Amino acid sequence: MPNIESLDPRIRRIDLEKNPEHVVLNIMENWETYEVFHQRKRGEHHVHVGIVHAANPEMALVFAKEQYGRRLKCANMWVTQSSNIYSFHYDDEDMFETTPEKTYREAGGFKVRDKINKFKKENAPK
Amino acid sequence: MESVKDLILRMADDALIIGHRNSEWTGIGPMLEEDISFSSMAQDKIGHAQALYNILHEQFNMEVPDFIAFRRNASDFKSCQFVELPIGDYAFTLVRHYLFDHAESFRYNYLSNSTFLPLKSLATKFKGEIKYHTLHADIWMKSLTLNGNEESKLRIQSAVDELLPYAMGMFELGNYESDLIDNGIFVGELALQNKWHSFITESLNSFNIKVPVIKEGEIKLGGRRGYHLTELENLINEMTEVIRTDYTTEW
Amino acid sequence: MYGGGYIFSEPSDKDQKDHIDDPVKLQEFEARIDAGEKIEPHDWMPFEYRKQLIRLIEQHAHSEVIGALPEGTWITRAPGFKRKLVLIAKVQDEMGHAQLLYSAAETLGKSREAMINDLLSGKSKYSNVFNYPAKTWADVTVIGFLIDAAAIVNQVANAKGSYGPYCRALERICYEESFHLKQGHDAFIALAVGTKAQKDMLQDALNRWWRPIIHFFGPSDKASVHGEKLMRWKVKMASNDDMRNQFLDMYVPKILELGITIPDPNLKKNESTGRWEFSDPDWNEFKRVINGDGPCNAERLAVRKFAEESNRWVRNALLKQTMKQTIPYA
Repeated sequence: MPNIESLDPRIRRIDLEKNPEHVVLNIMENWETYEVFHQRKRGEHHVHVGIVHAANPEMALVFAKEQYGRRLKCANMWVTQSSNIYSFHYDDEDMFETTPEKTYREAGGFKVRDKINKFKKENAPK
Repeated sequence: MESVKDLILRMADDALIIGHRNSEWTGIGPMLEEDISFSSMAQDKIGHAQALYNILHEQFNMEVPDFIAFRRNASDFKSCQFVELPIGDYAFTLVRHYLFDHAESFRYNYLSNSTFLPLKSLATKFKGEIKYHTLHADIWMKSLTLNGNEESKLRIQSAVDELLPYAMGMFELGNYESDLIDNGIFVGELALQNKWHSFITESLNSFNIKVPVIKEGEIKLGGRRGYHLTELENLINEMTEVIRTDYTTEW
Repeated sequence: MYGGGYIFSEPSDKDQKDHIDDPVKLQEFEARIDAGEKIEPHDWMPFEYRKQLIRLIEQHAHSEVIGALPEGTWITRAPGFKRKLVLIAKVQDEMGHAQLLYSAAETLGKSREAMINDLLSGKSKYSNVFNYPAKTWADVTVIGFLIDAAAIVNQVANAKGSYGPYCRALERICYEESFHLKQGHDAFIALAVGTKAQKDMLQDALNRWWRPIIHFFGPSDKASVHGEKLMRWKVKMASNDDMRNQFLDMYVPKILELGITIPDPNLKKNESTGRWEFSDPDWNEFKRVINGDGPCNAERLAVRKFAEESNRWVRNALLKQTMKQTIPYA
């Protein structure tokens, strides 16, 4: 370890000489990941905004509050372990493709005004 | 209103010094998410100090916050020695944060009924921030004790042992206690200390942490009367290194 | 804050040599990118795409973590409440950006621990500028204004890339960077219009930082099949020279208008080509520094090693056998 004279007084208070030659983190040392859902204000949906690493759910909330809520307006937050999330595979995106064609399930699929206008025209006093 | 001035100065100096200390972890904390959370709380504390100094400026014709914070000698500070101690290891930092923020929480809770309106309104304003600070402290304390390992329990216990005599110094009586109490400005340090002590005793016991018995003579007093650790002088020298090269200019 | 546009190339992996991507899937993948759609974590992707993205995002994340150190140098000494609060908030944001970026890289299957290990061992690089010291308060204002400005040019380009999680992280990062740039400009101006001592201090800092700033975007891209592929896949969004040129276009006038000079007599815009010309910034120095021989490389890594090692007990205390590793979705 070369002799380091830091310009940062915080670092000068640390004994860098104590560092071992190699520092290697073990897998999972940053614990598990939690998915974070943020609700901007009451009445709106919670929206997924990212993840935090945390050792338990309470800690995940405490971390989420600062990492995702320190600038955004926020009414509430949820967290859940990433392993609790079930998702479709993007390979199956074609499943969703038929939806736009099923116009009978859309309000716009009913042309009532056309029929009314036709009816009115036919029955108008001559 | 020397009594109110004295109270506010004590609170502001405590907040500034502990905020400064806690910001020493910014960028080099134990893991990213905690680094971010802890840094926010350091900012909150420094912000509290600024707001309190601002009351002194607006209500008592004292100088602006930058002047009060950055242009006094250590002996003019009213902070307790508890907040002046260097940051130590993360257990030391967390235990100080826990002990300090619960005292803050009770203090501001009392002040939310103060007859001195500027303090009353600050107490309302800071309520949410302080709630987060105590929540953060409690979750960490619980995690490292009940859900921790032998090493973390030991580190927390030894930090409590070391810090408690200093923490009790937070409640060092000022010269104006009866004035503050009689005028409904503040409930007084003694009442605050009792409230805090019974809370932390129960809380630490629930974490299986022993609360050492501190004798009267062991409490680290003096800060409120200008007797400080040499660490405070070093801290102030460091904090003012840039600004004191020219107090008359804007930075 | 800071993703240098420069992707440091490592020697290719052995397993990559044997790897051949499924041509049908590759075609679908490229069609998706051509159509302007984003790639998401569990999509099929070419081996090389995943590898280069991990490298890019990881280097960006490391640059945030290490970038916190030069500015952190002045946290305890910032002059006055405003600068003190802003500097803590800014360094905090750098750590926040690192968190977002490591998270985005994790979705590609590399754990945060593995990334940190590659930083600590020197295997993975970070932006070159952070190997230079922040000697005075003025350095903080030069970093906050100009390095952040350079980073924004790079990040705004990358935010239009093809990988969904990286784009989402960058969108949030760019939003916060605009605060960084504003505060940096504000602090820079305060010195520029201040006393003679302040102005001298600023000029001295700019003189020292100018070359690292020119280095920031990396040397001119060499024409290569590799580079074209990364452009086509929208991993690399603009050439190093284009980004540098854009930066100089935007910020040289903002420096000169304050009466601060730029320490390069040859710096000028060629109006017929629209390109900035400047003295040779010594790309050998750039290479030396990125390979470890800069003024602060040893300190930067030593501090990170210390931060990880001395606080390891905190992480170990809460580590449970039952914890399981999951690749996050975000």
